[in-house]
Amino acid sequence: MELLERMKAGISRNISRMAGEGAEYSDARFFADDRSENLVLYDGNLEANDTTFQTGTGVRVLWGGAWGFSASSDPDKLDACFDQALANARTASRLVSVPLRMGRAAPIHGSYSSPVVTDPFSVPLEEKLEFLMGIDKALKEDWIARRAIAAGFMRRTVLFMNSDGSEIVKNTTNVFADMIIMALDVDGMMQRRSMTLFTTGRGTRGWEMLCVPELFCGHADRIKSELSALLSADRLEYGRRSVILLPGQGHLQVHETIGHPLELDRILGYELSFAGGSFVTLDSIGSLKYGSEKLSVSSYGGIENSPGTFGYDDDGTPEKDYLLIDKGILVNVLSSRAMVNEANDRAGRTVLAGSGGAARATAFYRAPIDRMTNVNILPGSDGSLEDIVSSTKNGLLLDNPTSWSIGSNREHFHFGCEIAWEIIDGRRTRILRNPTYQGHTLEFYNSLSAVGDESTWVVCQVDNCGKGEPNQVMQLGHGVPVVRFDDVITGERS
Amino acid sequence: MLEQETRELLLSARDRAAASGVRATFVLHREKSHLMRIGNNSVSLNTSEELTRLDIRVIDGRREGTHTSLGHLTGREYVDEALAIAAAKAKVAVPKDYEPIQECVEENIDEADQDDPALAGLDPSVKSGIYAEVINALGKNYNFSGSWSSGRTEIYLISTCNSNEACHSGTDQRFTVVLKHPEKKWELQNEQTGWKAGDVKADEAISALGSLLPVYEGTAGVRNEPGLYTLLLGPAAVAELMLYALWTGAQGRMYEEKIGWTAGMKIGDRVFSENISVVDDPGDDLTFRFGFDRAGRRRRPFPVIDGGNLAGLMYDLGTAAKYGRAQTGHTLESTGMSIAAGNGPENPMDAIKGLGKVLVIPALHYMNLPNMSKGIITGSSRFCATIAMDGVVTAPIFSTRLTDSFRNIFGDVAAVSPRRVSVNLSSTYGRRAPVAAGVPSYMVCRNVRMTDCADSF
Repeated sequence: MELLERMKAGISRNISRMAGEGAEYSDARFFADDRSENLVLYDGNLEANDTTFQTGTGVRVLWGGAWGFSASSDPDKLDACFDQALANARTASRLVSVPLRMGRAAPIHGSYSSPVVTDPFSVPLEEKLEFLMGIDKALKEDWIARRAIAAGFMRRTVLFMNSDGSEIVKNTTNVFADMIIMALDVDGMMQRRSMTLFTTGRGTRGWEMLCVPELFCGHADRIKSELSALLSADRLEYGRRSVILLPGQGHLQVHETIGHPLELDRILGYELSFAGGSFVTLDSIGSLKYGSEKLSVSSYGGIENSPGTFGYDDDGTPEKDYLLIDKGILVNVLSSRAMVNEANDRAGRTVLAGSGGAARATAFYRAPIDRMTNVNILPGSDGSLEDIVSSTKNGLLLDNPTSWSIGSNREHFHFGCEIAWEIIDGRRTRILRNPTYQGHTLEFYNSLSAVGDESTWVVCQVDNCGKGEPNQVMQLGHGVPVVRFDDVITGERS
Repeated sequence: MLEQETRELLLSARDRAAASGVRATFVLHREKSHLMRIGNNSVSLNTSEELTRLDIRVIDGRREGTHTSLGHLTGREYVDEALAIAAAKAKVAVPKDYEPIQECVEENIDEADQDDPALAGLDPSVKSGIYAEVINALGKNYNFSGSWSSGRTEIYLISTCNSNEACHSGTDQRFTVVLKHPEKKWELQNEQTGWKAGDVKADEAISALGSLLPVYEGTAGVRNEPGLYTLLLGPAAVAELMLYALWTGAQGRMYEEKIGWTAGMKIGDRVFSENISVVDDPGDDLTFRFGFDRAGRRRRPFPVIDGGNLAGLMYDLGTAAKYGRAQTGHTLESTGMSIAAGNGPENPMDAIKGLGKVLVIPALHYMNLPNMSKGIITGSSRFCATIAMDGVVTAPIFSTRLTDSFRNIFGDVAAVSPRRVSVNLSSTYGRRAPVAAGVPSYMVCRNVRMTDCADSF
């Protein structure tokens, strides 16, 4: 606490100093404690037993319409860190055609803590390993070639202060887990089936999440049974048919073809040299028919238990619950303060009413960029999974990605999945191996013909979303129901 | 070599660990990084980071634990605390069913032959100046973006296995500039790499981008129907496809566990065209050279593909331990590679004369593996992709998807460039880890399957 108070005073003093130097805005994020733990049990061997502890400060200074950023682990170098960020901003300001503006925001004094019953870092390692070994035992069979169970834990305490006068302390906790089994099929090809810890969106997100069998470990027998059936399954033949995406696959579809293209920095062209752009333009907002009327998508969604729930973003903006797509029409995007100001300036009108609270940085040594929070398809009115299956004439029921490849403007995509169930005349017939499907984003979402009700809706956790230069890995969530799309290209041409 | 104070801190920690019977390995990773991003003809971000990571791995019989501290290395207490955490984790870990191998520095190494102090201390105004030169030369009506990462990486490795020390210091940089037409939406890109301050040249970017402007400005984009095509792959496309091919086909673990596309094959089997040879050559100056791996092994040239035949499998520390194989110096975050030059004509357009319609694809975007067992990869064209008819570029193409097997893509190679260039393959997730490949400046691959095409660039 002594260090936290010292850093508070130091940051406050430096923010005032930057204002005196003519800075239009400045902020600092002091990561007092940022720890992660990664455990991987692979074929019964503990192949990862890692912890990482890191601490440091990241400073942004906006001067002359340009950002300068600097980071240091050394708390005694705070003044130098601000000086370096200011110097970087001054250098950057020599090449500015579009001055960035943060604008003014009312100061916020707040705090956020993830809802947690048991801090995962308070659980003894022996207990964690015992848990993983229990799952490993349940997965082990002679015919299973490989089995892996992974658990990841993160905990952060971050102090945020900015020149608006805001002071926010965030304590976030995340728990992730996966299990994967693999076996050789009748052709000697490796097949796999997996399960990832998910949430209902409600409840807490500490160690206790892992203790609810329905959310994770209770699925071991199911994936074994499905993998067994895959080994002698027929291969998927190329053709156009409906695809029904279970949340295990649907969340990645949403992530790649709704989440990323709606990040405002991509739309404005700030990610072109690596991640790519977006087919969405500022003119699209309010008019683009992104999908059928059955498609409504929200950001954040008021979900209390998700890695995409964090209280305040790294601009100091409170997380907001708002619609991105309303009955098929694009109405908003994922945004941060500077990007919203630029979008409105460029459009010459108010395209966006305010920041979407999506400025996020992965660590103290990275600058915030526009990221997903929770991007969710809202539950629909087409009933349960079985209701949707029974109303499908010719289709595939697909689960869990093995491969994803998306066009640079997110205009087209290709996905491979672990498993497909063929559906003919409303009934599941057989399991099919190596399913793939591909499409063009707008055509695909406009073919959305069924959206499951709340009984099909879960929050899938993503712990490895990559974006930015330097690259940043981010954690987030997607609340998704079962969804069906029609006339989709499936399989590969022979 | 690392400065004396930090070195002594780590050496004394190693000696204390050894004296108390703890088998420990210490890796200090220190980076001084700078990155400038460009967006909408402006510097959108200008960052400086100085970070020090200390990785400690402790082996306790068949148990092990690892801890990393990223922070201000303050003194003995800091190192001892990290060591204690790793040791405590090892103590209660699940024992493996095989003997772990400890990192062991084979010989004292102190290398800094690719370290340019001028690049490590490059003034950011040099970067903004070069970007301004490119923008001014090609016209502010276009939308320019890009990034320029540069920095120095120091890696210091010791273990209680012996008293040897391995130390690497090197500089690296990657420059990209993207020119986008604000209305027509097409994107051109130039990328440059190297380890010396003078390796990035504005003239080269201006020339590369400027040479394609006439065809992009003067011709509408073309949508290609799915089917089999002859491809003229540029160096970035060749490097990334080969990187995936080696990862899934030549990594010992993929092979042993029958996950990759070489499962069931043996050394000497034909996998690619006979005009393709690949060596992991740590002495190739087109790569970022590392003389030792993270296990302390001296790295030596290692043939992976020889005349189209599978020549070697790369084993890291963990895989070697689990499967009882010899390590090959591949305990690395990522492996560079050297693909041999061929005997095709110098000018790539001469290589496709008489071949009719050819898709020219310099780079592929967002690749992935829908079927690893069959070595099937998919990805789509992006920057600077065009159609050439009998050796003449005629039109830009819309974003076009390739989905095919490595053996098919590299199995019918009509020509390989006689000139090799460097392609930067570094990832900047987490710690700075420079990786580059030395690859032919083009390859002509026949009968490659294109499976989709967008209606736009």
